[in-house]
Amino acid sequence: MLALHNTKCECGHQNAVGTVLCESCGKPLMEDMENDAPLEMRYDGVARRSQKSNPNPIDKIWNFFSSVKIAVYLIVITLVTAMFGTIYPQEGSFLNNFKPSVYYEETYGLPGKLYYKLGLSHTYDSWWFITLLVMIGTSLVICSLDRVLPLYRALSKQQIRKHLRFITRQKTVYAGQVEGNTDEWVKEFSVHLKKKGYKIHTDGSALLAEKNRFSRWGPYINHIGLILFLLAILGRSLPGWQMDSYVNIPDGDTVPIEGTNYYVKNEKFTVEYYKDEELPPELQGTIRAKKYETNAILYKCTDNCGDDATGEPVLQQVKQQEIEVNHPLKHDGLKLYQFDYDVTPKLKSVSPMLVNKETGESYGPFELPMKDAPLDYTLGPYKMKLAANYMEFGIGEDGEPVTLSRDPNAPAFIFLITGPGLPEKGQPYIYFPMQKDKEKFDQDKLNASIADKLEIKVDGMDNVHFAEASTYLNVRKDKALTYVWYGAAISMLGLLLGSYWQHRRIWLRIDDGRLSLGAHTNKNWYGMRADVAYALRKSGIAVEPKSLDNGGNNA
Amino acid sequence: MGKYRKTVQIVILLAVLVVGGYAIGNTLFAAKEEGIPKIGEQPPEFTLADLQGNTHNLSDYKGKAVVINFWGSFCPPCVKEMPEFERQFEKWKDSGLEILAINLSEDTLTVNNFVRRFDLSYPILRDVNRKTEHKYGLESYPTTFFVKPDGTISDVFVGGMTEKDIDSRVNQLLQ
Amino acid sequence: MSYVDFSSDAFIVAFFLYCFAFLFYVVTIAGKKWSNRDPEKHEKRWSRISFVTSTLGLIAHLTFFFTRWFGSGQIPTSNMYEFITFLGMAIMIAFTVVYAIYRKPLLGMFSLPLVVLVIAYASVFPQEVQPLIPALSSIWLKVHVTTAALGEAFFAVGFAAGMMYLIRVVDFKQTSKEARRDQFWVEFSLYTIVLVIGFIAVVFIFRGAGYEATFNQEKVTIDSKGVDHSSEDTTKYTLPPIVKPYNSQAVEMDSFLGMDKPLFEAPSWMNGINAGRKLNTVIWSVIAGSILYGIIRLLFRKRIGAVIHPLMGDIDPEDLDEISYRAIAIGFPIFTLGALIFAMIWANIAWGRFWGWDPKEVWALISWLYYSAYLHFRLSRGWQGKRSSWLAVIGFVVILFTLVGVNLVIAGLHSYAGV
Repeated sequence: MLALHNTKCECGHQNAVGTVLCESCGKPLMEDMENDAPLEMRYDGVARRSQKSNPNPIDKIWNFFSSVKIAVYLIVITLVTAMFGTIYPQEGSFLNNFKPSVYYEETYGLPGKLYYKLGLSHTYDSWWFITLLVMIGTSLVICSLDRVLPLYRALSKQQIRKHLRFITRQKTVYAGQVEGNTDEWVKEFSVHLKKKGYKIHTDGSALLAEKNRFSRWGPYINHIGLILFLLAILGRSLPGWQMDSYVNIPDGDTVPIEGTNYYVKNEKFTVEYYKDEELPPELQGTIRAKKYETNAILYKCTDNCGDDATGEPVLQQVKQQEIEVNHPLKHDGLKLYQFDYDVTPKLKSVSPMLVNKETGESYGPFELPMKDAPLDYTLGPYKMKLAANYMEFGIGEDGEPVTLSRDPNAPAFIFLITGPGLPEKGQPYIYFPMQKDKEKFDQDKLNASIADKLEIKVDGMDNVHFAEASTYLNVRKDKALTYVWYGAAISMLGLLLGSYWQHRRIWLRIDDGRLSLGAHTNKNWYGMRADVAYALRKSGIAVEPKSLDNGGNNA
Repeated sequence: MGKYRKTVQIVILLAVLVVGGYAIGNTLFAAKEEGIPKIGEQPPEFTLADLQGNTHNLSDYKGKAVVINFWGSFCPPCVKEMPEFERQFEKWKDSGLEILAINLSEDTLTVNNFVRRFDLSYPILRDVNRKTEHKYGLESYPTTFFVKPDGTISDVFVGGMTEKDIDSRVNQLLQ
Repeated sequence: MSYVDFSSDAFIVAFFLYCFAFLFYVVTIAGKKWSNRDPEKHEKRWSRISFVTSTLGLIAHLTFFFTRWFGSGQIPTSNMYEFITFLGMAIMIAFTVVYAIYRKPLLGMFSLPLVVLVIAYASVFPQEVQPLIPALSSIWLKVHVTTAALGEAFFAVGFAAGMMYLIRVVDFKQTSKEARRDQFWVEFSLYTIVLVIGFIAVVFIFRGAGYEATFNQEKVTIDSKGVDHSSEDTTKYTLPPIVKPYNSQAVEMDSFLGMDKPLFEAPSWMNGINAGRKLNTVIWSVIAGSILYGIIRLLFRKRIGAVIHPLMGDIDPEDLDEISYRAIAIGFPIFTLGALIFAMIWANIAWGRFWGWDPKEVWALISWLYYSAYLHFRLSRGWQGKRSSWLAVIGFVVILFTLVGVNLVIAGLHSYAGV
């Protein structure tokens, strides 16, 4: 059993175990009475709730988290581990097709491999980092609760007349003689303190002046805000609360947004660059985007939705908007942000004509999309049947034409043409829409005799249609966000209250004309001394503020 | 207040345990879906149309030995292995083997020409906008999944397969 | 004359006023011991002169800031030069606020050289107005950058006061083990500051001489189809290349003291052409700083700490401790608001996520955690005086790394503000 005998103060008040200063008169209970050093005034000397003479296992866990020392260690460990996470880029900063197991070793060699193996490549969502945050959260709750309740109790029932030792062992003190009527002097003194915003309580020749008590709650309000903030972040992992994905849409395409019932179309992507005269000399000639935006249409799917539907989805337009950096499209909690773009042109379709080289007559133009082109064309007296197509034309090992990819990088089309002067069963004609391929594969030679009679050709660039750019949109949804902001706001409020206002108290008693004054603040002793010196000077006692200092800690 | 202390302590510690456990558990068990389905797992469900427009659900094939093959005409090993699959299909189809060859979102003409060229008789399914491909997390082609009648994967093969490769795996699948 | 040109003039005026204010503060402190004068009167008179000068400097600096803003049409905090000068201005504002509370001229003797150093450092970076990339144009960016810088400025004043405290209390005559350790670290901190001066001096000397060397680095990458692509990166050195980038060729190089080819090559793990250049700059700074430090030591035949220490004889160390702590306590909420909350609001608007664990964000968080640890150590663990001052000094190093180091060493989203 811990020494229980000293919990009863000489003033008759029964204090809890662990009390440093009597809750009623302020008499120091724990230490040697002969000591004259300034008192430890933290939490007004009340016992923390957790202090108990014989702790059970639950108390022990509680006490662990109740310790500020542990809290500071947790903060320090968290900040050190957070540093490690910034050595190499985190996995999360890469987009698709990223293989972390290969990337780190390939890029950074052995250190990179170790970095990956140790799990530092995803530090911030690793179990141990989250565990640290959970422990900090726990510590925030328990530390605060353990201190704020007793502190509240102590501050709401303060006694005006304090023990003399309590007063003289404050960090800011004054002692001296007062002439004349002591009650009158106290009254005058309190008038001057009132001007400084103090609330005055008197008990005969004893006085308690107090201001800005609310600032004591600042740290706890701050902690409540932080807890709310942490909980809100945790809430994001609840199903349906948060999503974060990227879509790549070429100009004119419509793509589904995975995980939702929405589709989004890139009507047109535009990018504007800085003109040379807008750039400083050393940047002239470089390409710097000034503004880029996507004219996007958001659709809701009403039928044939989802991955398993086989038919064409039925879409209903919901919203159309220009999406720009800093100006996302917002609908029903879903937000589409401009993320990036790619301005490498991709051929979409051409509108060529069929030209009879002998007569000079031309037929068409006809529309030839790169993907899923129609199979039959009728052009004047000619009929064409699309026999084969290749997205990226090439010749395979066996000499047969093959496609090297499924993207229209070097498209080729084989038509079977019938008509006047051509065989009954038709004559094949290979057509390369892109000039470079036409030359590379020597279209005329492949077509042989028919090349002298007919030609499929595009008349001018107007008849070539590129998807000039594709835009990358970032799709986000975050229900927890509101709480995140509330948490941040509350925490900020607490910080402001706790930092820019200080709880100041002045105790005073006059025993047989001898004035004893002690003052305490939780921060800013400089201001505390200035207040005391001001009131003393106005009441006829000139004193240098600095001389009031009794030494000790400068919290 | 003092007499409730114990209750308060227990309530708060329990709350911490639940909330914190949830947070930590999330990071431990929300293992990222990386890569393709593995042996012993169930392959993701899909509903796709074949060249005739009939829809096929993977779940329709439950109770049968199924080979799911992803292919494209642009991938030479795919082109090479397709006839070998055809011969294997002829060999095993009476024993109940099903082959679902999923094309990697190419256009109709390309697929039709390809099928005609090799005279394939097993169903060719058409993926659209690379959806199924993404669902399976494919990174290279061809990729073939061997699915047992109980609906779990018995083997995964990434890359072109020879007839011998296919034969031994189908043999195992049908036992 | 355009507004931007005018602003450059105002900047030079501010710079010189700061230099003079620094001299005046030194006179205020050191002059108290001069004969034939009443120390109190002297201090009163000169601290007023100093404060007026430094405030005039701040006004000129504000003029620079607003005319440049008006002239360029965008808030001048968007490249390294503008941001660092803004930081210097914020430190001046923070100093003025703290000075108004405590009226300790000694604080000027430490804060002003800090400001001068910060501004000189800013001038190392290219000074042209650069157009903003779209991600940067938002009102929240302005609010975020300015508030964060102001918070950091208070930490800087806390650092200055902490440094003063250490020089004041560390006894340079004692030879006990603990005293020697303290002496070493105080001197090391001062040496680091001299290195920064050395860096700035070297950059300006060679800039004045118009020194240039250019290197090419060929990079070969093999794409998915197996085709080689070679690309060339070029970097321009403004300091003579002691170290050239890994695997690079000199395109042209001015001769320096008969040195007409690089002495060494950067190791292969230093990827990228700029890593070599940065290494070269670091080597030059160390050389120049060490020479400068050597000259100072030769001149005074004492350690720098021991030179300054006697000047501070009649300063109450408790005041310094309190000022350091107060500056940090005032700065902490501002920093929280600017570097975290406003940053989150802006990130949420610009990228749709309020937090992305980008290195710059992580380091802002690290700084915040660091200073909250500082406050807890002080409030609850009773860390005062020396320990608290060391924390304030190290904290400023953390802040500097967040501001500059992250851009130089770690690449991330914020690297567009880079060097």
